[in-house]
Amino acid sequence: MTFVIAHAGHWLVTIAYFVPVLGFVAWLAATQLKARRRHRKSGDKP
Amino acid sequence: MTLPLAHGLSPRTDLPIPLTLFVYGAAVVLVVSFVALAVLWREPILERYRWRPLPGTVGRLLGSRGVDVICGVIGVALLGLTVYSGLAGQQTAASNFAPTFVYVIFWVGLVAASILFGDVFRSFNPWRAVGRAVAWAVLRGGGDGLPPSLEYPRRLGYWPAAVGLLAFTMLELASATPDDPSTVAIAALAYSVAVFIGMALYGVEPWMDRGEAFSVYFGLFAKLSPFETRERVVGVRPPLAGLTTVKSAAGLVALVAVMIGTVSFDGLSEQSLWVNVGGELGDLFDSLGMASETAFEAANAIGVLLLVGIVAGLYMLGVAGMKILDEEHSLRDLARSFAASLVPIALAYIAAHYLTLLAFQGQAMVYLASDPLGEGANLFGTAEVGINYFMGATLIALLQVGLVVTGHAAALAVAHDRALVMYDDDPGKAVPTQLWMLAVMVVFTICALLLLLAGNA
Repeated sequence: MTFVIAHAGHWLVTIAYFVPVLGFVAWLAATQLKARRRHRKSGDKP
Repeated sequence: MTLPLAHGLSPRTDLPIPLTLFVYGAAVVLVVSFVALAVLWREPILERYRWRPLPGTVGRLLGSRGVDVICGVIGVALLGLTVYSGLAGQQTAASNFAPTFVYVIFWVGLVAASILFGDVFRSFNPWRAVGRAVAWAVLRGGGDGLPPSLEYPRRLGYWPAAVGLLAFTMLELASATPDDPSTVAIAALAYSVAVFIGMALYGVEPWMDRGEAFSVYFGLFAKLSPFETRERVVGVRPPLAGLTTVKSAAGLVALVAVMIGTVSFDGLSEQSLWVNVGGELGDLFDSLGMASETAFEAANAIGVLLLVGIVAGLYMLGVAGMKILDEEHSLRDLARSFAASLVPIALAYIAAHYLTLLAFQGQAMVYLASDPLGEGANLFGTAEVGINYFMGATLIALLQVGLVVTGHAAALAVAHDRALVMYDDDPGKAVPTQLWMLAVMVVFTICALLLLLAGNA
């Protein structure tokens, strides 16, 4: 797939647009997984 | 190779503000919409909508069997004209009725008609009309010896429709000769045979509801419409509310992914990224011994499948995120339950991408109606009418951005309403689970804007 890498200049810049969303998703996953673990420990439903 | 009919006539324009501001501005609009929904929309509105018949006899008249038959006859005549002009007319896309009718009026125009007037294709559907006419004739002829239709298998769900839709979009986007009139005519004939087999096996209405690609496709868009027909009476309902009646079944996620992914590829195929990558992929197939035209088609087919897969994958990631807090529903049930909320996004992509195609190329029907074969006829005296490019580049770009943002905001509202019903017994879950859908919608919005407008960056 050398041609994809050869054109990385095109799509690498585009990825920058998604950085804030990726950060949001990471935060969302971390907080919700933590909440689920906490509820499981306390024996409740999440 | 370019696909002149499959792509708008002026897809790239100069933006009045930088693309980055458009992209982040659209994302902010979605976040604000989400917060407003969470704060102000606390009870399901769409799921518990009221349907009211149109006043007087209007609703009964519009939904009557007579209107259904007339529309069916028109549909059959148009299918016949498409096949005849495609096979017998001039073999140039611009002067032949078939390509413009199929790719502009049928494929794009009927989406607009479905949104505005409800499920009009159900009445105009030529295959349904023929199927019903044959069934009626057989019954009148005392067709007792005919075997009964098979029961439509549950596991098939919407899969035949998804495959049919993918096949059509492959013709439009991957084929080297999508707008060749005879190709269009032969494809219409081949698809007709497939539909007749489906109807013969499972019955007319079951096949129309789940298996016939265009009935399902336009039917899904009609769910956004304020008009709905019940027991042969046309009535009104709140816009978007019809989406709550979409039957959850196998293949629904795939179907919606095909609807969004294929239009996305149409956008991507105009970008320098795909021109380079797709071109080199085609060269690779070429070097492996494929004919150059086949290599080009194979590269495009891979691109279409890739984007359909990416759309389905992103959606499933969002659903997997919802599953963190929801241990009651399976991943499959969650995916199917919220899949209908993606229909407004499919509409937004289609409206934004094909806006110019319908507005400009659609006018070609005025002269093609007078000269469907492209042989110099002037049946209605309109053969000399030209195309009026009445919208400027900046207005088109602004409309595209507006359509994309509105579509995604509508999708958020539908998903939010669905979540309120699903988590009726635990309302605290509705908003946190929908944060995942917000992330999915923002990603889809950014992708849509980049595919539509990146040429201006």
